[in-house]
Amino acid sequence: MWLPIAGLLIGILLGLTTGFRVPDAYSSYLSIAVLAALDTLFGGIRAHLEKTFEEKVFLTGFFTNIILAAGLAFLGVHLGVDLYLAAVFAFGVRLFNNLAQIRRILLEKWSRYRERKSA
Amino acid sequence: MKNPASVFTFVTVIIGFMAAVLYHSTGESEVRDTRTVMELRQELTAEKERQQELEEEVLRHEHILSELTGGSDPEAVMEEAMMDLREKAGLTDVSGPGIIVELKPYFSEGYDGGAIRTVPSELVRMLINELNIYGAKDIAVGSQRIVSTTPVREIQGMTHVNSRRIASFPLQVRVLTDRPDQLYHYMMTSAVREFLQYENFEMTVTQVSELTLPGYDQTMRVRYMQPVKEES
Repeated sequence: MWLPIAGLLIGILLGLTTGFRVPDAYSSYLSIAVLAALDTLFGGIRAHLEKTFEEKVFLTGFFTNIILAAGLAFLGVHLGVDLYLAAVFAFGVRLFNNLAQIRRILLEKWSRYRERKSA
Repeated sequence: MKNPASVFTFVTVIIGFMAAVLYHSTGESEVRDTRTVMELRQELTAEKERQQELEEEVLRHEHILSELTGGSDPEAVMEEAMMDLREKAGLTDVSGPGIIVELKPYFSEGYDGGAIRTVPSELVRMLINELNIYGAKDIAVGSQRIVSTTPVREIQGMTHVNSRRIASFPLQVRVLTDRPDQLYHYMMTSAVREFLQYENFEMTVTQVSELTLPGYDQTMRVRYMQPVKEES
């Protein structure tokens, strides 16, 4: 439980200390990649809670989602269509769905835990 | 990576890194100082000049103050200071060395435009600007003294200065300056001369050792200033 959070902090620290910068023109690709990564992460958490987690699916999903999202945004820029928005929309909706599922599962677990305790 | 925790850790490290980089790149876009040494020196010189001006002004004010406090007759000092200010504002006649710029219509043989009634206002403005750039102290266009609030504009096809029409030719622009010869040479080579030629005007400049400029003859309207109430 704490390991992933520590990993997140390490990642942020790493990013801040290296001072790595992306040119303004490419920052939208990076933001959509972050969105895709978050989506995959929450999907993975949900799958883990539902006990359907599979490592290979998760890892391949993580990388292909990032690459596809960035590629879609790139294609959109070159076609003159804001495909970037489509990706934002799709990932946003999925992100909220996953979050809602996670919340439900956690609530269920918690209430079950309380029932067991009171019984 | 057999247990899910390590996979999640791996993924969160990447996410954290990407988020940090994104924050870095979109956060603050700092404006870099790209001035060259030359530009910096110029700015420094300008600031130094300004400092000197300010110091001179402080000295002058201190002088007035000491006269007011220590002198026998504060009223005379105040009168003097007021006269000084009136002169600076352009309310009094002033005389001194300077140049006279004369504008008159000039027609080439092939001229087939209409009659010329007035010097276009933008050219008058340009002339005033150039004179000021090259060190003019006081300027009068025709009989109108240029003060800080003087409007130069076109009203119904006629150029008006201080709301008085400028219609007669030749139009005399009298200028007071400390260095008439320098201003003369600048004006002979200035861009406004060329622009006047396009509009069929001829500009002649003469140096004068002594000329008098009329004062501003209308009431100064001060709309956006008010006296500071001194706390005592």
